[in-house]
Amino acid sequence: MAEKITGKGVIHGIATGKIMLAGQNLDGYLVNYKPLDATTEKEKAQKAIETVAENLQKNIETFQGKEEMAAQAAIMEAHRMMVQDPALGEAIVSMVEEVGSAPHAVLKAAEAQAKVFEQMEDEYFAARAVDLRDVGKRIAKCILGVKEPEIGEGKVILCGHEIEPSVIAGLPTDKIAGVILGAGSTTAHAVIIAKARALPTIVGVGDAISQIADGDDVIIDGEQGDILIRPTETDRASYNEKIKQQEELKAHYATLKDLPTVTTDGIRVELMANIGSHMDVDNAKSYGCEGVGLFRSEFVFMGREDIPNEEEQFKAYKEAVEKCEGNLCVIRTMDIGGDKPLPYLNIPPEENPFLGYRAVRISLKRKDLFLPQLKAILRAGVYGKAAIMVPMVINVAEFKKVKEYIEEAKMELAHEGKKYSDNVQVGIMVETPAAAVMTPVLAKYVDFFSIGTNDLVQYTLAVDRGNSSIAYLYNHFNPAVLTLIQRTITSARENGIWAGMCGEMASDPYAAVLLLGMGISELSMSAPSIPRVKEKIRSISSIKAKEILADVMKMEDGDEVKAYLHKVL
Amino acid sequence: MTEETLTIENKTGIHARPASIFVQTASKFKSKVQIKAKGKTVDAKSILMIMSMGLVKGTEITICADGPDEADAVAALKELVESKFGEE
Repeated sequence: MAEKITGKGVIHGIATGKIMLAGQNLDGYLVNYKPLDATTEKEKAQKAIETVAENLQKNIETFQGKEEMAAQAAIMEAHRMMVQDPALGEAIVSMVEEVGSAPHAVLKAAEAQAKVFEQMEDEYFAARAVDLRDVGKRIAKCILGVKEPEIGEGKVILCGHEIEPSVIAGLPTDKIAGVILGAGSTTAHAVIIAKARALPTIVGVGDAISQIADGDDVIIDGEQGDILIRPTETDRASYNEKIKQQEELKAHYATLKDLPTVTTDGIRVELMANIGSHMDVDNAKSYGCEGVGLFRSEFVFMGREDIPNEEEQFKAYKEAVEKCEGNLCVIRTMDIGGDKPLPYLNIPPEENPFLGYRAVRISLKRKDLFLPQLKAILRAGVYGKAAIMVPMVINVAEFKKVKEYIEEAKMELAHEGKKYSDNVQVGIMVETPAAAVMTPVLAKYVDFFSIGTNDLVQYTLAVDRGNSSIAYLYNHFNPAVLTLIQRTITSARENGIWAGMCGEMASDPYAAVLLLGMGISELSMSAPSIPRVKEKIRSISSIKAKEILADVMKMEDGDEVKAYLHKVL
Repeated sequence: MTEETLTIENKTGIHARPASIFVQTASKFKSKVQIKAKGKTVDAKSILMIMSMGLVKGTEITICADGPDEADAVAALKELVESKFGEE
């Protein structure tokens, strides 16, 4: 048996390859380094600073004009400024006086500054410590003559407690199969870059990461979070079997791609995709999605250091809308809060960020954030069919206020002579129990409801979905949840608007049958789930779905519902 | 020696982006440029030093320059702070 360690899978997929330790240990080189006199050491440090800055500059230039590389370029630019920082330079010089060796001095000076950042309360600054250590290491490597890790024929899986963003950014995409991080942060720069490249990624492995050695063969499962070190032939066979099954299923699902999503008695349901970036649309279309039911606009706001302006947002939304080719593209306005703070929002830490200052609550207070976003979406609407979806609404007043802002955005656009669409639907994400209960009233004001089950389940059941000791309570078939969902869909139908769903539940084929029975019009999910939901819907009649729903709504317990559905379907 | 005392007015304070503009501007001048705030004095040509001061909105800072182009340096940086770095 191979050793197995487990972390948190954050980017799905199975990958195999040889481990390349990325948090490269310089100890061996440092021990053997023979320093000369102080003046020469200072010169060496200075020379290395210049070389590293030049190399970074070259890197940045190769990224220019490539939009998908913009985040990486910005990170590199920050590193370049740090490398050339006069304060760091002075610290290095005085450290050389103290320790006598240039590479040691560089590492110590960078470490001292990293510590300063680490002790700052702001999470953003604390995260800059990694960047500083990265910068120090780069300069030290240059002095020591250590080459950047070389990649052979096969693909590698990068592994390190924290991986310097420059390491991932500096490697060609087709040479990296996956990423393993000992640290737990899903907002690390390394994860953002891995996500943009769709690399299976596992974080939060902790100290167990020391069991993994450079050059080890591993298999990683980015869904389960499993890492198999030095797999045996048996392990390989079982994973090859898994990969084969994945491929077979994929091939089978591919045959469904162009078939319509209709029940046996002709009721249509639209299946759409949840995306985080306009770059995801093409991939989603390959699974047969009919538009985008949830564009998480946070992606546009994350991994950067200032507010994206109207133009930048417009470009991202326009591209997504265009790629939907006339199908609907629902753009959710910024859904960010204290749990994933952005440096430029300055949200103070909260005891309870999920019940705190987040999403529309921020948007309504921060016109400087909200108006450019609304204007950008309205303008993108010219290029297809866009919709605005507002998250975390709890009452009618909030929605009315949003509508006022939209009017103001239109007036500004008209005044500025910019083209915008007047046919952009405006709806809300029903994800708070308050909104679900009030849907009969809200339905008079909105163009659509989209049920966000991840939060709706969490808030309705008062169960934190991240807490493993109460995970058994988290169940979207809980009758309380089903009642709120049914109420929402009924309110929509009675008021002549459409209701959809964009949470995890929409990707559960069993749930899809119940939702079909309730009369849902649209289901939006991560694209790879589309085929299995489509297959289920195509196998059943709406009459049968209604019968099953009627039985389920008589049940008293979520687990009973689940067991029943697995039995009859 | 020329100096000028100002208050940071832009909402996000001197965070990463404003700090990098500030440093780039300060670096254009030959004079030694410093920022005094919260009882500390740091090199205004160092993004690390400026960022580690945590200059939020409402902080009072003194910009001082010493050298051949000190008046121009202080004027340019004053304008930058007063223009809120082009932010709100």
